[in-house]
Amino acid sequence: MFAYVVKRLISGVLVVTLVSIAIFLLFWYGPSSPAQPICDRETSNRCSAAKLEIYERTLGYDNPVYEEYGKYVKGIFVGRTLTIASNEYDCSAPCLGLSFRTKQPVKEELVSRIPATFSIAIGGAFLYLLFGVPIGVAAARRRGTVADKALVSSFLFISSIPYYLFALLTWLYLTITFEVPFFSDTGYFPITQDGPFKWFSGLFLAWVALGIFGCTQYTRFTRGAMVEALSEDYIRTAKAKGLPTRTIVYRHGLRAALVPVVTIFGIDFGTLLAGTIFTERIFEVQGIGWWSLEAVQGRDLPVVQATALFSAVVLIISNLLVDVVYSVLDPRVRLS
Amino acid sequence: MSADTAGPETLGSLSTEPEQQDPNSQQAKEISGKSPLRIALGRLARDKIAVICAVVVLFFVLCAVFAGPICHLFGVSLETPLASERVDGLNQGLPKPSMGPPNGPFTWDHPMGVAPRTGEDNLAYWLYGCRVSLTIATTATIFASLVGVVVGLLAGFLGGAVDKVLSFFIDLFLTIPFLLAALTIAPIINDRYNLSDNYSTIQKTALIMVLSIFGWMGTARLIRGEVITLREREFVQAARVMGMPTGRILFKELLPNLAAPIIISISLMLPTFVALEAGLAFLGIGVTDGVSWGQMILKGTNLTFFREYPQYLWQPLLGIVALVLSLNLLGDAVRDALDPKTRR
Repeated sequence: MFAYVVKRLISGVLVVTLVSIAIFLLFWYGPSSPAQPICDRETSNRCSAAKLEIYERTLGYDNPVYEEYGKYVKGIFVGRTLTIASNEYDCSAPCLGLSFRTKQPVKEELVSRIPATFSIAIGGAFLYLLFGVPIGVAAARRRGTVADKALVSSFLFISSIPYYLFALLTWLYLTITFEVPFFSDTGYFPITQDGPFKWFSGLFLAWVALGIFGCTQYTRFTRGAMVEALSEDYIRTAKAKGLPTRTIVYRHGLRAALVPVVTIFGIDFGTLLAGTIFTERIFEVQGIGWWSLEAVQGRDLPVVQATALFSAVVLIISNLLVDVVYSVLDPRVRLS
Repeated sequence: MSADTAGPETLGSLSTEPEQQDPNSQQAKEISGKSPLRIALGRLARDKIAVICAVVVLFFVLCAVFAGPICHLFGVSLETPLASERVDGLNQGLPKPSMGPPNGPFTWDHPMGVAPRTGEDNLAYWLYGCRVSLTIATTATIFASLVGVVVGLLAGFLGGAVDKVLSFFIDLFLTIPFLLAALTIAPIINDRYNLSDNYSTIQKTALIMVLSIFGWMGTARLIRGEVITLREREFVQAARVMGMPTGRILFKELLPNLAAPIIISISLMLPTFVALEAGLAFLGIGVTDGVSWGQMILKGTNLTFFREYPQYLWQPLLGIVALVLSLNLLGDAVRDALDPKTRR
């Protein structure tokens, strides 16, 4: 067990290093000049070659790339001082760079955006399980009946529609056309400032859209896993012993069926935390995804770079956690 | 609670497959002497939903291929007209009554109306949007499949260290979602090429690259798994004993047996890429030159236009939904036809 965790940790660190190098190189060699956006911004689009050279030099873009990557990594662990033109900015650890627009450390704004994204993720994920698992179990128990077939095909139908169009229509018709009072003001309102009701009503529609759409997948997973579990020999034994149906389905069947569902849930939750870009864009929730989209429009490269790195790291960590949890739940994994 | 009574669950009329086949039955006669793909095709033709979906997909393909002639037929074009001739600047830039909905009756000059504010013809933009969507999705699917098949073949057949390294990369790429990659690449492409004459072409190429680079892993996994089981089969061993070079074994012996998984992975990729292309354009990080369903949806969600002229939003939206839905359902039917025992 311990050896397995250590092995997974080492490969996790390796992956994070690789991804951070890839992102750094992308933003180093990708743009014609990484300093062009800030030079344009500072000089109101009259960026001359000489000016550009000053920005490039002070931001360190004339140094070798490995040297700057070293500084970047060092900044993440101990912080650093960044210079733009003639001004110095302090960037404390973990330093992810300075925003070209606000000249504030990216980290601070990133942290302030986390609660919004986290709120969406937790509510959506809760609804995935709340609806997905029981419906899946019910469908598996009635496998082959008309109700099961209707459910499976209608869920297949819903999940075949692109998610963002589903969310977009939900938002447009409920808040704009019909102006349903509870839904009409979507967005993120901090629970500490505006109270829990405002927070809840602002995010409710986003949760419902995310939850309904996501639960179709969970229904399918749960149904598939349950059908498999219910056809196992130990279920027949349990039936032969005369155990009550409820015990057979929930204690014996569901427990075995939930292991793969939990794994998929872990990965999905990580994906939600890494950025619910469509949901945030459509329901006007100003979380990490919304912010990075805004940064793309404003050519704020350090912000895009930081959010990419943040999301990738969140995803890698959640995958790692899922692997470890899975190895605890199912010992066959770590032995293979 | 009888778990064994139900037949294989499918959407259409596929569930008529008998559990055990009698060698003299109608079913057995029908499939004797046919290749597996032939049998699957026969099953598909009997699936009503699959046939309907295939017709819908064909309709979109024809629209995309013949976008030019159809536009010519209706006398519409992508050209930007003098806006004041077609839209009413005093009425929030909505189309004039003579241009058709929402203020006037249907007109053959502009069968789908004109866009608010710019006055561009909706039919022309819809048709060319369909072309952009299908071109990008198909090209990306081809590239992603190629990479996936080659990686899967090598990892599965060679095994050992090669397999370890390739599997590591499969897992690495699987952790990074499309959306994140596209979001990261978009400002870089914009910064480097926004002044270039071919900006729109470069943007589409970049989009295809992002879709293929982050879309090959599913195929690779599927192929790898299949190759690992095929590798030990007699015909491969025979080929090895005869001294056939590895490349020849891979492409002459193994590849023909991989048709089913390749078709399955294509059927999964195509609708995903169509939806993603439009989604990225909707977010403003995909195609940004205006000729794309996603961009049309973005314009249609402008609240003034949406309140007064919801058709403007619905036209591209129905296009995407119908195309993605029928591709998905068709893909599902294809997967069932190739392997009737699959249960999802």
